[in-house]
Amino acid sequence: MTAPPVLSVRGLRKSFGAMTAVAGVDLDVEAGEIVCIIGPSGCGKSTFLRCINYLERPDEGTVRIAGDYIGREPAAAGGTRLQSARQLDRMRPRVGLVFQQFHLWPHLSALENVARAPIRLRGVDRSEAEAQARALLARFGLAAKAGRMPADLSGGEKQRVAIARALAMKPELMLFDEPTSALDPEVVGDVLRLMKELAEEGMTMVVVTHELGFARKVADRIVFFDAGRIAEMGPPDELIDRPRSERLRLFLSHFQ
Amino acid sequence: MTLDLSIITDNAGLFAQGAVATVYISVAAIISGLLIAFPVALLRLSPRRVMSWPAVAYVELFRNIPFIVMLSLFFYGLPFFGLRLQPMTTGIVALALFGSAYFAEIVRGAILSVPRGQMESARAIGMSYLRALREIIFPQMLRFFIPAATNTSISLVKESAVLATLSVAELTYQGLIVQGQTFAPFEVFLATATIYWGLTALLAAGFRTSERRLGGQAQRGFSSRHRLAARYLSLEPEPRS
Repeated sequence: MTAPPVLSVRGLRKSFGAMTAVAGVDLDVEAGEIVCIIGPSGCGKSTFLRCINYLERPDEGTVRIAGDYIGREPAAAGGTRLQSARQLDRMRPRVGLVFQQFHLWPHLSALENVARAPIRLRGVDRSEAEAQARALLARFGLAAKAGRMPADLSGGEKQRVAIARALAMKPELMLFDEPTSALDPEVVGDVLRLMKELAEEGMTMVVVTHELGFARKVADRIVFFDAGRIAEMGPPDELIDRPRSERLRLFLSHFQ
Repeated sequence: MTLDLSIITDNAGLFAQGAVATVYISVAAIISGLLIAFPVALLRLSPRRVMSWPAVAYVELFRNIPFIVMLSLFFYGLPFFGLRLQPMTTGIVALALFGSAYFAEIVRGAILSVPRGQMESARAIGMSYLRALREIIFPQMLRFFIPAATNTSISLVKESAVLATLSVAELTYQGLIVQGQTFAPFEVFLATATIYWGLTALLAAGFRTSERRLGGQAQRGFSSRHRLAARYLSLEPEPRS
């Protein structure tokens, strides 16, 4: 028996009032795979990402993490039902989410940002959690910044702390929502390099990005989102060099 | 006309009793008001109409009636429902409910003053709603909450004077008694006003200390430059510190 995909999405739909953001998406991501999602603004790619861990509750569809349902599960009577808040809270740490705007907790030091969730949610000893957090920060070149408050960190440093915070829960899947869009151009490379290292270590990742260069180099598969659907999907070379649809050709032309 | 301070010193005992009663009533009303305010504010913030609507109704009900009218309604109305409370108890309950409506709006505003992404990043990592509130939102909302709560608390101390209408022996009532015995209203109200001023000043100082203690943690989140900028650019009136 083969292991179930790390991420398995079926029939996902999400509307905001009359506006359909995600219009029926199926996606499987295998262990160690890197999937980059590209597409025009407002095409639903960020909403899709936020639906995976139920920060936005999808209207329809199911999401499974390594075979386990998150947010909504099949009901005994047929159909599906929402999981309890407690079930959802237990599933969420298995998915790490990195935001465009970092959303570090400004009242806690860099170290505490990383160590807090393992201490509170996993019952890890404070000394052990801090040692792990220091090791993560050191790996990301932030050993000297552990005691700093987020306000005293640069954008690139904040995003690296945010990635460390998500990794501290040892997630099986990492989601990145335009992780470099809020960064100064000169530090974008630092964060992308870090993500590439993670990818090489075998982390399973779904990355919403406008960095086509990164997508081409790192992604195993690129997904082109348009109007809330997967319009095209394939290996980077194929998708970027030989786009099948006019929409994708047009989208890619903006990057030349 | 001369100021006869002996009127005040001769009746110092009554003023002291009144002041103690006022402190007791105010502290009890402020603490219970705050305790009621948090659940009301959380209900009000709920996206579900069945949860938020009662909270809206509660706040509007207690905010839109003059306190003296509300107090009289309670005092004369509750016996109709078989509830006979001491005037002092009625007063504390009414003042707590009155204050809780204002406190609830402050708590709601303070929670909303924290950027949405803070709650999202806490939930995304697996914290429950209540844990995220406690560990991530509350520490950050204190900067907004404490100055506003100070103002409302001071108002409640002053509103407690209305309990004199029910013959509760608090500061204003004792002042009226002394005035009735001495026919020296100026001295009496000068003393009463001074004591009120002293009590509210003490209360404000207490809040400022708690702001430094509690807010100190949260303040560290903002670099010194930001703190300086925030102080000068702040549109929120803050108590002097």
